[in-house]
Order: sequence, then C-alpha cells, then structure tokens
Amino acid sequence: MNARSLFIPATLFLVIAFLIGPFLIIVAASFSAGETLAFPPQGFSLRWIAKVFTVESFQASFAMSLFLAIGGTAAALVLGIPASYALSRYKLPGAEIVRTVVSAPIIVPGIIVGLALLRYIVVPFQVGITLALFVAHTALVLPYAVRVVSASLDNLRSDIEEAAVLLGSSRLGAFFRVVMPNIRGGIMSAFILGFVTSFNQVPVSLFLSGPGVRTLPVDMIAYMEIVFDPSVAALSSLLAFLSIGIVFAAERFLGFSRYV
Amino acid sequence: MFQNRAEALALALPAALFAAAVFLVPVVILLSDGFRSPVGGWTISAYTDFFSNTLNQTVFLRTLKLGALVTVVSAVIGYAAAFAIVNLEPGAKGRMTGLVVLPLMISPVARTYAWIVILGRTGIVNQAFQALGLTEAPLRILFSETAIFIGLLQLFLPLMIISLISALENMPRDAIPAARVLGANWFQVFWKVVLPLTKEGLVIGGTLVFTGCLTAYITPAILGGSKVLMLETLLYQQVSVSNNFVSASVIAFILIVMSFAANILLKRVATARNKMRSQP
Repeated sequence: MNARSLFIPATLFLVIAFLIGPFLIIVAASFSAGETLAFPPQGFSLRWIAKVFTVESFQASFAMSLFLAIGGTAAALVLGIPASYALSRYKLPGAEIVRTVVSAPIIVPGIIVGLALLRYIVVPFQVGITLALFVAHTALVLPYAVRVVSASLDNLRSDIEEAAVLLGSSRLGAFFRVVMPNIRGGIMSAFILGFVTSFNQVPVSLFLSGPGVRTLPVDMIAYMEIVFDPSVAALSSLLAFLSIGIVFAAERFLGFSRYV
Repeated sequence: MFQNRAEALALALPAALFAAAVFLVPVVILLSDGFRSPVGGWTISAYTDFFSNTLNQTVFLRTLKLGALVTVVSAVIGYAAAFAIVNLEPGAKGRMTGLVVLPLMISPVARTYAWIVILGRTGIVNQAFQALGLTEAPLRILFSETAIFIGLLQLFLPLMIISLISALENMPRDAIPAARVLGANWFQVFWKVVLPLTKEGLVIGGTLVFTGCLTAYITPAILGGSKVLMLETLLYQQVSVSNNFVSASVIAFILIVMSFAANILLKRVATARNKMRSQP
C-alpha cells in the first residue's frame, strides 16, 4: 500500500467519525451517573433516561410535536395528493404557478414563515397558537408531500386509469381502486419524510409558542439554557433511535429511498 | 392526460389557496413592511439604516463568510469522501452511504447539542489540550465563529457528499483512466476531467449547503450564543428582545434574496450544462 491509496480511506474514516462521533458521544453521555453533562460519562446509570419521562414540560411538548407531525402531515397529504394528481395527469391551466406556490414554503426560511404567521394571522385574527402551529406545519410539509407523491405518480403509467375509465369506472373510482393501491408506497414515504421534517423543525415554531404550548425541540432548547444535566442528551438519543428506527423500517418495507 | 379543466382546478386549488393564504400572503406583507415609510409611501431608508449599523454589517458579513467557508470546505472534503465511497464494493458502498445519510435523520438540536459536550469549557477538546499541556486555562471555543463553523459543517456536509456521490456515479467510468493514460497528473485529472463532469452535482450540493447555512437557526443559537450572531439569530433577537419589526423585515428580505440568488444560480448552471450537452 502506498501513501496515496491509504489517503482516501483515511479521509473517509475521518469524515464518518466527524459525522457520527458527536452522536455517539451524546448516547454515551446519556448513560452517565453524574450530575452534569460530561464525556467521558461518570459511571453508568439509567437515571437520566428515566428522568426524561418524568419532566412534565417534555411530556406536553412531545404530545404537541407528535400531534403536529401526524396531523400536519396528514393534512398536507389530503391537500397534496389531489394537487399532485392534477399536476401529473391533467392539462392544468397555470400549472407552473400552482407548483411554485405549493413548493414555496421550502425555499423561504422557516423563521420568516413563523414570524409572518404570528404578525398577520395569529394576532389580527385571534387565532390560537395550536391552530397556528398546525397550519404552519401543514404548509411546511406540503412541498415534500407534493414532490414525493408526484414522483410516484410520474413513475406509474397513466394508461391504466384511462383503461379503467374506458371500462366503465368513474374517475373517482379509478383513482381509489387503481391509482391509490399503486402509489401507496409513495404516500407512506411522503408521510414518513413529512413526519421527520415536522418533528425536527425548529425555526417555524420559534415564534409560535405560548404558555404551555411548545414543540419538543423548542422546549429542549429552552431547557438546556437553564439546566445543564444529561437529560437533554438522553432525550436526544431516544429521539434519534426512534427516527432511525422509523426510517430503517420504511426503507426495509417500502424502499423509501426510491421516492425521496 | 385528462382534459377537463374544471376538474383539474378543483383538485389543485385547495392546496394552492392554502399555501397562498397561510404562507405567501403573510410573507409578502411581512417583506413589504421594510419598504413602508412611517409617513406614508415607500422608502428604502430601513435598508440604509440597517446597513449603516456596524453590528448589522458584522452579522451580515459573518453570515456570508461562514456560508461561503462551510460550502467550500464541505466541497473539498465532500469530493474526497464521495470519491472514496464510489470506489468501494457495492455492499460497503451502501453501508457507507447509509452512515453519511444517518445524521440527517437525527434532530438538529441533538446534533448541535453534542458539540457543547465536545467544545465546552470542560469538554473533550479542552480536556485533551490540558492533558497534553498545550494550554493551562480552558480555551473558549464555544460561542465563537469556529464553533458555529464546525456545527454547520457537520450539519450540512452529508448533503454535499450525497450530491457528489450521484454526480461521480454518473461520470463515464473510463474518463479518469483515459486521462491518466494520456499523461495527466492527478491535479489535472481533477481540474480538467472530474470537476467539469461533476459540476452539476457540485452546484446542487453547494446550493443546499449555502442556503442551509443562511437559514440555520439552531446552530448559531446554541453554538454562537447571544454575542456571536448570524442573520437568523439577529432576526430572532430583533423581534423577541428589541421588538423591532422593521429591522426583522429587512433581515427577512435579505435572507430571502440570498437564498433565491443561490437557487437561481443553481438552475442557471444546470441548464447551461444541459444546453452544452444537447449540442451535436
């Protein structure tokens, strides 16, 4: 082995260590028995993992984040699937405008979306924070929903539903009995991508928080500014394993990466 | 293709109207605030005010600098990593790509939080430096541009590597051996063969990384603290501390212009390449 053939694998090793290492340190720190966040961990215990489940604000914000991720993604799909269908199967007047409008939330920084909603929807119309968060997360996930569902619709030949219509099915019947079963994988992938995006989102939710109403990541940032114990590390590890597990399962059963 | 326009509109309009109402209209009003004169009419005085403030200048230039630096460094590291991954056996290639993608699944809060453990006063780096006798008092690495740079690089490097992997995979297999046989050294191979053939992937990755850095909030908030601000954290401070919505609107506009400029650049370069390719 000469120097150059060693150089490339060594670089790769360092890059992977740089990308994964911090995460492993967080996992190790969450099993610490000590009072403060430190590495190497002082002793071994599960006390911080256990503590995560007893912090009341974490329980409330976890429930909020879960509701937003599931509800917001579902709402984005209810809006996004018909729009994707129209974009991929119809001669839609102003198709480019529709495409740009529904995918715009991806380009504009989340903090601006949150601030705009707060200033011009929440305050003037007296909208509740929970509803505002729900609407914001729906808008945020919509571009992903349209992109992923459109991709799986484009991969599906359109003559099968034309055939179904010719054979006497209604347009709606053809959609639900012929198209839907064929794009189920794409819809599930869109759901998972939307869920992870919404759950991890911070900037949109920053300004949209009220007394007792907060998303989990925003709550974690607030907590770590006050308390320097390993419970945020423990919570981070738990969440990371949760999302890695979801994505792995999705890849295994749905071939997630084909759509994303 | 179905031809029924009414049906098409009925399907597409709910999503478009929703996005317009909750997103487009409020954002446009927010942006217009920065151009509104307190005595009526329109003005750009908010912008001249903003840029005449030295703190704002520093933050603006820091955001540009960190974005550019992270993009360039991630491109350099990204080429080495992507090149190594592309040349692996198929099985190992899949596993390595998986390891590169893995951090993207983890919450940015968790990923940024890890750097506090590493870079903090009693963190690993300071422990190591003191054990080696390199420094007596703990170094202040956290709450600095260096800390933000490291955090942003770790956050966005995977996007660059993935873009470059697919670009390198689409490159003709014999291009590099052919250039070598014809006498090119490794620098020439990269500059004259690899770079032009993977430019598209580099531009896509570069835009993702640069706009990511512009719009990242968590990393500068946690690793920069309240002193070392970037545009996003400055915007947050202007709203939550100073209640200065005009200044917030100015920053928002600057951020959007910068991300759009990066996006347009991406499309420009990509289409320029396609045109080149389709010429006989």
